[in-house]
Amino acid sequence: MTALSHAAEDALDQVRRGNRPANAALVTAVLAIIDRLSSLCAALGSMGQEPQGDDSDVIGALAMADDRPAAEPASAESVPAPADEEVNAELQSWRSIRVPLPLLDSVMTGVTDIVLARNEFARLLRESGADASVIASFDRLSDSIAGMRQSVSQMRMQRIDKLFSPLPRIVRDLAQDFGKKVRFSSSGGEVELDREMMENIRDPLIHIVRNAIDHGIEPLDERVAAGKGVTAHIDVSARQSGNQIEIMVRDDGRGLSPEALVAKAISARVVTASEAKALTPREKLELIFRPGFSTAAKVTAVSGRGVGMDIVKANLEKIGGVVELRNEEGRGLTIVLRVPMTLTIISGLMVRAAGQYFAIPRGSVREILLEMSDSVRIDRVGGGELVTVRGEQFPLLRLEHALGSAIDASEDQDDRAIILIRPGQGHSYALSVAAIHDHEELVIKPAAPIIMATGLYAGTTLPDNGRPVLLLDVQGLLAAAGVDASEAGRSHDADAEAEAEVAAARDAAQLLLFCDVGGRMRGVRLSVIERVEEVPAAALFESAGRVQAKIGTDIFPVHAAAAPGGRDAVKLLRLHDGRSVLCYPIEAVIDIVRLPDAVQPAQAPGLIAGVVLIGGQPVELIDPFWLMAQYGAGQTAPLRRQPLCRLADDPDGWAGNFLAPILRSAGYRVIGGDEVVEGERPDVQLCLVDGPAAPVAADIPLVRLRASVAASGPDDDSIYRYDRGALLEALRVRVAGA
Amino acid sequence: MMEKLYLIARIADTRVALRSRAINSVVTVGTPVNVPAAPPHVAGLFALRSRVFTLIDPHVVIGLPAVAVAPGQRVIVVDVADHGYALLADAIEDVCFIEAPETRVTGWLLPGWARVADAMIEHEGASLLVVDPSHFVTLPVAKAA
Repeated sequence: MTALSHAAEDALDQVRRGNRPANAALVTAVLAIIDRLSSLCAALGSMGQEPQGDDSDVIGALAMADDRPAAEPASAESVPAPADEEVNAELQSWRSIRVPLPLLDSVMTGVTDIVLARNEFARLLRESGADASVIASFDRLSDSIAGMRQSVSQMRMQRIDKLFSPLPRIVRDLAQDFGKKVRFSSSGGEVELDREMMENIRDPLIHIVRNAIDHGIEPLDERVAAGKGVTAHIDVSARQSGNQIEIMVRDDGRGLSPEALVAKAISARVVTASEAKALTPREKLELIFRPGFSTAAKVTAVSGRGVGMDIVKANLEKIGGVVELRNEEGRGLTIVLRVPMTLTIISGLMVRAAGQYFAIPRGSVREILLEMSDSVRIDRVGGGELVTVRGEQFPLLRLEHALGSAIDASEDQDDRAIILIRPGQGHSYALSVAAIHDHEELVIKPAAPIIMATGLYAGTTLPDNGRPVLLLDVQGLLAAAGVDASEAGRSHDADAEAEAEVAAARDAAQLLLFCDVGGRMRGVRLSVIERVEEVPAAALFESAGRVQAKIGTDIFPVHAAAAPGGRDAVKLLRLHDGRSVLCYPIEAVIDIVRLPDAVQPAQAPGLIAGVVLIGGQPVELIDPFWLMAQYGAGQTAPLRRQPLCRLADDPDGWAGNFLAPILRSAGYRVIGGDEVVEGERPDVQLCLVDGPAAPVAADIPLVRLRASVAASGPDDDSIYRYDRGALLEALRVRVAGA
Repeated sequence: MMEKLYLIARIADTRVALRSRAINSVVTVGTPVNVPAAPPHVAGLFALRSRVFTLIDPHVVIGLPAVAVAPGQRVIVVDVADHGYALLADAIEDVCFIEAPETRVTGWLLPGWARVADAMIEHEGASLLVVDPSHFVTLPVAKAA
């Protein structure tokens, strides 16, 4: 073990000193030593002693790497590729503990049961008419249970990063083995996936990446001949798309050749020649999923592992996933793995139809509108229905019809809402439901196969009320209804519009609606609000003719005529312009809405910038610009860094007693002649002309003060010591020049 | 001994014996949640100990008209292929050891029963059908219609 680590250390040391170049062979050799070390450590841990064995092969690889700096694949071949388990173990041991999944499941079940019991208990409490203190403490319990439920749900989720992290190493080792140059990139690591799903995708994903390097990417000379860069590129990305998590593995290799696949399939007796003729191009590609099929002309060390694409496909289908091929012959292959998010936690929109609740994944919802809204027009066209929303047309699906139920006549027609759904790229439709309920974080579990077979549902979930709710499969609904939801050829270019919409949403300012202390509804742009603060009334006081608030250790001006009396606490909006803060007292926050485009501006500049209509109600818009202008004047703007001012001499204490307070209020820090601030040079220094000669540092800008009103001569640049304006101006100029 | 333990219940208007090892538990249900567009023998969903179970109406499987679920009705909970199901029972009679051996089904049965019955068993002077709960669940949709 010592020998191993020393060998690696020596090699790296030489690299550091610049005695040898850090080439690929060296890195391979060092990584091999690390692998050997970790296997030794594992052996030590389990057997209590170091296993006998010769490590000279790995150390030798290091020497060989030294001998032949031009890395030939041959030198790397002596290094076995590490098993995936080892790589994973290394990466996962960081700052986490291992918990068996069944334990997590039982915690999850336990918490959900607590929630159900709580709801039952809450109902009993309400019925028994318990007194307020009991209910208050029960509510506290409820809140902590809700918090716990959320954390437990989060516990099962894992960033897909974990799945991607061993890949760079695998790619690197394999590329070395095959003598290929491969650049690896990954994105979307922040997508979260249920741990169990992750386990099921891991092997297929690694296998696909292996295949890409082994079969997909051409040898160097072929790449050059095809006019491609020598370095191939493999990209792995993940994203959430509606009901599903999509993982894409893209390479820029040779892609699949349908004809070669067919020839291979015939020779491997997977299909007969006559069957092959009848295959569509797509079916030809999908031959690689047939059992017993292997595209490699010769069996290599990697493809000889006995896992074929058929196993990959079977593994994914077992968890309800799909494998899709996007082939560009000669230019690369993209393999898309789609995994349902069943077993995952999603944000779901609860809707009502036919007298019961259903959940819709929030991710595929584009917009929600009331059917009675002015911007919605519904046309009956040839028995079907069509919705036009702001000039864009969508096929309309009534959820009750899609489910084969009757529309509940007792529902209020005014509540009917239209949900614009985009189940995938290039498709969208409008779903009409009886009412929108709310949205919740939902734990999705697969429904029984007989229910999944309807194609309408993506799973079941159990919200807080303990009544199971079905999650709708927004894509399946379309298929069942036989509606063509393709956006191509619709009245407007939906993609462009969607993009514009996103851009508009980004630009659209949000408005914080609040009720001010006078009981009027007003609004202010959300972006100027730093936060909403609730302070005890005692924290507000009047000083120098204006109301101030003490929040923590700071004092802020408050926009109020007088400190409010007769209440315990005051809510304050903290307006922030990047430098200073102004507090605006309010009664309560009402809502956050999108700021409408149409603003009726006020006649004269003042507190109210204008009036907008929010939900039919006129709302006065506060003008933060005007407000800040009112209060900004008297304030010294807190500078990023307060300049340091040194009083070079102060024989009679005048500078310390008279001058220093003025300087401090102007935003300077003041030190005496013999004081030193650690690590900082003074920005400016002051001295008195008619005092005794003071020790003045030559390299610091100097302002000289005189006691007499008149200057002693035309070239006297000193300043009369009570000329506040001139003094501050001189300081400012010199600090700025420094 | 477990092989000899049977649950005697009345499902789809018929007394049957169910092998106890196939059964998870017997519980009562409240109002189940309807599953629109599901096969007719699916009577709904209900939650039990934070699991969601699919309620099966044996009447439909046998070929009888569906019956409404009464609140508090007892159901037989079974696990089939890692999914939880519950069979609506008209009545739960007894859990008992039956020493008599299971015998081949003799005589003519209604097609519905023929599909779900595994064997027959003699108990307290009556012949009971031994049914496998999983046959109620994995009913092909076409046959149920």
